[in-house]
Amino acid sequence: MDLTPRAAFTEPHRIGLLILSLALFLLVIELVRRRRFKERYALLWIGASAGGLAVGVFPGIIVWIARVTHVQFLTVFFATAFLFLLGLVLSFSMVISRLADENRVLAQDLALLEHRVKRLEDGHDQPSGGE
Amino acid sequence: MARMLVIIPAYNEEETIAQVIETIRCDAPGCDVLVVDDGSSDGTPDVVMKTGGADLVRLPFNLGIGGAMQTGYKYALRHGYDIAVQCDADGQHPPARIPDLARYVEEGVADLLIGSRYVADTAYAPSLTRRIGKSLMSRLVDALIGGGITDTTSGFRAANRKVVALFARDYPDDYPEAEALIMLHKNGLKAAEMPVDMLPRQGGHTSIRPIHAAYYMVKVGLAILVHMLRKGAA
Repeated sequence: MDLTPRAAFTEPHRIGLLILSLALFLLVIELVRRRRFKERYALLWIGASAGGLAVGVFPGIIVWIARVTHVQFLTVFFATAFLFLLGLVLSFSMVISRLADENRVLAQDLALLEHRVKRLEDGHDQPSGGE
Repeated sequence: MARMLVIIPAYNEEETIAQVIETIRCDAPGCDVLVVDDGSSDGTPDVVMKTGGADLVRLPFNLGIGGAMQTGYKYALRHGYDIAVQCDADGQHPPARIPDLARYVEEGVADLLIGSRYVADTAYAPSLTRRIGKSLMSRLVDALIGGGITDTTSGFRAANRKVVALFARDYPDDYPEAEALIMLHKNGLKAAEMPVDMLPRQGGHTSIRPIHAAYYMVKVGLAILVHMLRKGAA
């Protein structure tokens, strides 16, 4: 292997990664169990922890990527984590935008319906007031 | 006789709103008045109720000017109004000109008629930064859609049924005026403007601060770009 010893993927690295991934996996499962997480978002995190476990069990994966891309294995880790988080934040921005739109429509319709209910209660029925 | 609705979006305007409603009842007597309270924390809704001269729709929380204005357009659509006029709650827009705006729309001069601060010799004199920002924006909009609208940011406008239906379906969130013009253009609707002498604010304070001006330029610029990149209508 053409990597320097300092940059190698050592046994402590492996064990640390396995423990972290397992902890993440259990945390996500627990959060879903307590209904704090929607399954669709949990899937992302389960995927992430599965990736960590896979690398921990088969360290050859990351060594291979490091060799093919000519970067140190640590950089591979960070790049992967960074891209994952970037994708996650982008998807959250999309989700928030959609929620904001839905929220606006709900607030508007609530206000209009409230007004209409009040009119009906006051006895002003409007024949033209339909949808 | 066309049924007309004046839409006044109001956010913490308790000082001026009663006067504005009163003036509209006097100067544009044929119009119904709707105040959309945008989650005010002051006494705006109570003041409106006390005047007895306007319908009041209360949003449960603050949506911003675009969301409040769209609520008014949805109301106009659901209640079958022929013409909807936007008017500010701070007293800058002279209600005496509402009948003129509405008449031009009724006559079919345009689908949307804007009361403009720049046409001809109005006495409007905004600050320098605002003038630069608004002039840049107007040029950008004009370059994209043509039609020679000089005051793309004026919120004093009258809309016919087609525009009401469009805006009820889709309306920009904040600083909506310029973007709304692009939407009209893409939907094959026509905007025109007439000169209107604006009044000084009667009270309250402007919602546009210098820091917002920069955000305004970037946000509206981006929104317009995106509209241009989208295919088809709206």
